[in-house]
Amino acid sequence: MDGVAQLQKQLVDYTASLFQEGFLDEQFNQLQQLQDESNPDFVVEVVSLFFEDSERLLNELAKALELKTIDFRKVDAHVHQFKGSSSSIGAQRVQKVCIAFRNYCEEQNIEGCLKCLQQVKHEYSLVKSKLETLFKIEKQLIAAGGSIPT
Amino acid sequence: MEYLHSDIADHTQQREKLQHFHVLAVDDSLIERKLLERLLRESSCKVTCVDSGDKALEYLGLLDSQEIDRSTASSFCPQSSTQEGLKTVNLIMTDYSMPGMSGYDLLKRVKGSSRKDIPVVVMSSENVPSRISMCMEEGAEEFLLKPVQLSDLKKQLQPHLLKLPVHPKIDMTTSNDNGNGSMIIDITMNNNQNVVVSKRKTMTPEPLERRPQMKGLAVI
Repeated sequence: MDGVAQLQKQLVDYTASLFQEGFLDEQFNQLQQLQDESNPDFVVEVVSLFFEDSERLLNELAKALELKTIDFRKVDAHVHQFKGSSSSIGAQRVQKVCIAFRNYCEEQNIEGCLKCLQQVKHEYSLVKSKLETLFKIEKQLIAAGGSIPT
Repeated sequence: MEYLHSDIADHTQQREKLQHFHVLAVDDSLIERKLLERLLRESSCKVTCVDSGDKALEYLGLLDSQEIDRSTASSFCPQSSTQEGLKTVNLIMTDYSMPGMSGYDLLKRVKGSSRKDIPVVVMSSENVPSRISMCMEEGAEEFLLKPVQLSDLKKQLQPHLLKLPVHPKIDMTTSNDNGNGSMIIDITMNNNQNVVVSKRKTMTPEPLERRPQMKGLAVI
């Protein structure tokens, strides 16, 4: 197999594994379909926005849950945003934790919220690293003269 | 664009105004705005994004201060405005959950204003039946669940785009033509100054072309 074909296979296999392991869902496919010659970096752009936004939200959540008196409505508002943005890019496992997180907010369950904060941080860092790897392979493929299979 | 009959030449200004279906997208999330903008441009729309209900009202010229200053406010592009310095907006798509003014509040404000004829679509990531019926009762055209798919959007936009003058991207052929008739396209102007394109079949054995035939133009 030549270099390009090998990278293409690597990309296809890696992407498939992310779907199989539930890191990504169908919405990520939708994003990829919106990428074309006029919008060649669409996926990377949206995902980069997601990374920035997520880091901000995680900081806000950590601060909000450190307070002596926790404002659960505020915590819930942040989680709602995080749930929305993760859903928009297809980050399924992050989204699932956010759903559980919101339930704990509704119950005003501090322990539950703190647990979910740890979980969501974990899931977020996993999907971030996976997506960064994905983009790296894509870059290598393009540098080798190949194109991203649709 | 040569597809319009010369009879319509007098209405060039109207046609130019309607050539781009303009959607005002309202969402406090940057990611959502980027996505929606991409989806709408993919559907051949012109898009303006704002991040709040207040900014949407401002854009629409519905802030109290603007309604008072209507005659002097024309700092935005005059050529894209209707009379009275208002910008043409063909559809509003708004998120439901926004800090400050919610999508529902925005819907109410628009429907209670001089721009109530602009259709409003509300979007939400939450499937709450009472929320949906509340918005529909307040006059929302549709309630879409997020994340919005391209197919949802195209289905949503199709009836609106069909009201515009014939556009090369719009496929005006139908799949249920059995070849015995042909498609006649009538282009008329209704009372609201909207160009309405309607199709009817005739039984004359003419070949069905992919582009609409320009017979039977009636401009009222």
